[in-house]
Formats: sequence, C-alpha cells, structure tokens
Amino acid sequence: MKKNPVERRFCGNCGSHNAYNYPGQVFCSKRFSEDKNPVVDTLWCCEEWNSTSQECYCVREAMKKQG
Amino acid sequence: MQRRDFLGEPVKHVKIAGKLSVNELVQQFRNSGSFGAGRLSTACDIYERMVRDEDCTIFLALAGAVVPAGMRSLVADLIRERLVDVVVSTGANMVHDAIEALGGHHYKGHWLVDDYTLYKYHIYRIYDVFVPEEDFVKLDFRLASIFDEIATENAGKSLGSNEFARELGKRLEDPNSILRAAYEADVPLFLPAVRDSEFGFAHWLHASRENVKHTLMLDAFKDVPEIVGLCRRSAKSGMIVIGGGVPRNTIQSAALASKKGMDYAVVITMDRPEPGGLSGSTLEETVSWGKVKGQADKVMVISDATIAFPIIAASVIERLSGDFKRATSNEREKLQAVEESE
Repeated sequence: MKKNPVERRFCGNCGSHNAYNYPGQVFCSKRFSEDKNPVVDTLWCCEEWNSTSQECYCVREAMKKQG
Repeated sequence: MQRRDFLGEPVKHVKIAGKLSVNELVQQFRNSGSFGAGRLSTACDIYERMVRDEDCTIFLALAGAVVPAGMRSLVADLIRERLVDVVVSTGANMVHDAIEALGGHHYKGHWLVDDYTLYKYHIYRIYDVFVPEEDFVKLDFRLASIFDEIATENAGKSLGSNEFARELGKRLEDPNSILRAAYEADVPLFLPAVRDSEFGFAHWLHASRENVKHTLMLDAFKDVPEIVGLCRRSAKSGMIVIGGGVPRNTIQSAALASKKGMDYAVVITMDRPEPGGLSGSTLEETVSWGKVKGQADKVMVISDATIAFPIIAASVIERLSGDFKRATSNEREKLQAVEESE
C-alpha cells in the first residue's frame, strides 16, 4: 500500500529541517554541523532522519510544486 | 503657591488650517499642552536641546521590535546625521537589521491570523508583521561564516559587544543598515544582551561544526568600562529610550557608575510603573538612583514608539534644517582635550 506523503520520510518532515528556499529546499542543521552542504531538497531523505514534534506544510507544498 | 499660579496658561485648541508640516503639528500639540500631545511636544523640545547642546553625548536605547516595525532607516539616518552618538540595542533588533541587509524582508501581516497555520508555513509573527523563517536561516548560515572570519582574525581574543557590532557592520554593505551606519559613522553600538537573540543561535551553529578552527568569543563585561568611560568623558549626557529593558538599564547604569547622571531624558514606553519593571519605571524613580539628575530636562511619552519616535525625529530635523551640523562625540572629545591642554 502506498504511504501517505506525511507518513513517508523526507527532509521536509525531518526534525532537523528549517525552511530555506520554500518549499523546494530546506536547511539541515545536522548536515551543517557535519560540515556537509546543509541545503537539501525538501523531498530528499537520508538515514539520519528523525521525527518532528509538529508537522509543517513543506512536503505537501514541495509535492504540489513538483506536480 | 497661590491660586492664580495654577491658572497661568490657558489650553490653546489645536487648529488644523490647511497643510501642516510635522513640526507645525507638534507646535499645535505644544499649544494644547495636554496629555500625550503635550508630552510628545515636550519630548521634541528636549531632543532639540540635546542636539543643540554641544557638550551633550546622546545615547539611544532600542528595545522592542523597532526594526521589524519599519524604523530601521530612520535610526540609520540619525546615526549618519550625528543626531545620536551612542546606540545601545537588543541583539534582536540588530538581527532584524542584518536580515534586511542580507536581502530578507519583513512583511505587513495581521494580528488576526491562525498562528498554527503560520507555523506550518514556517512564518513567524511579530504582532502584525510576518517574517519568513528562511530569512533567519539564511542569516544564520551567513553569520556562521562571518563568525568564522571574525574568530580567525581575532584568534584567542574576546570581543566586547561594541567590537562585535563593528565587525558585523564592516561586513554588511546595505547603506540602510543600522550596523553599517554605526560602523561608517564610528558610532559605538552596544548589544548587552547579544546572546538572547538569533546571534546566540548563529553562534551555536558556528561553534557546533565538527571542523571549526576558531570559535568567536564575546566578553559581556568588556562593554562596562567602555560605556561608563563614554559617560565619564561627556560633559553632559542625554538619552532617548525606545521601550526600555536591558538597553535602557545599560545606559542608566553607565550614568550611575560615572557618578554623573543624565542631563536630558526622553523615554517612550507603553509600560506601567506599578509592576516595578524598568521599562515602565518613571524618570522620577530613576532620579532616586542618581541615574538621571534631579534637575534633568526629562519627559516620559506614553505611546507606541512606532508613532511617537518618527514624529519626534521629524519635528527636530525640521527645526534643524539649513546648514546645522553636529560635531561627533569623538570630535567634541578632541576639542575638549585641546581646550584642557591650553
């Protein structure tokens, strides 16, 4: 069964993200602290994904933009 | 006092005949002399006297959301025109100044809005002003590099908040920036609560990286002798306070420590004195500490500073029009030193 976008793991619903170029790109504080490029696609994801306490519209809006 | 002493000057009613300049309206306020209008016109008179007093060093305290509310260019212009000599600000105001200097914006919003929807869109609300989160994040990202540069240049040396503000101003190119204006005009800009702002989080980002070579170090206590020295070397001091809080206290404490007390004081606030907080404390209360002189030229304007402060500034600038040029505090200090040596 296909997962609801909000249940799927993306950078845009990870606890380490903040808005950057809304809605397409987010800033990852985790990557920044590791000296990696912190600006990543909202719909990307890595193995260090962690849950967030409150959901936002980043994934929904990025998907809408992607079409 | 006799009965007739209480009835000296009748209230003159405000007359709006045709077009009025800001200062003409303030003169009408002076004629009525009543309530908030009377206090506002008194504030204009006191600021004008501060500016015209060649011995006076003018301190400006910025607390509350002065920059998000649209007063950034006004403050920068006052600095460039030498109508203030020293600025003491919350860190947050300079964060918002830097946000705009780096291309970010504050947006006209509304106070009646679903804040959880704003949260989901990563938009922050300051009453009826909106700021997109990415403007903060872009600032943090840029500041982390700027902090690297400053830390590398000053390896092992702790900076005072004034030195820190100068380093930031040096690196911002926006002519409307308060930080840039202070840097260019060589006006000291103190940020006594710098950690309690996005600067604190930007520092955390800067310092949290695995390969950071030098960490920016600030010394909060380094400002104290510097600002007390400014008060001590000034023949007279005046303050204009927007809001209150830490910036007001920093200036007043310097006046106290220098054993001089302020000669002029204008405080614009909406706070009340009854809860005992500094932002609402009356200037009479301040006199008891020796922070403001008993005979000081002083007034408290109970108003939203976004209304009162531009009116005060516009009125005084209009009165000064022509070739009025105020010497900088550095120039006055040099002149004073020459006079003393002669």
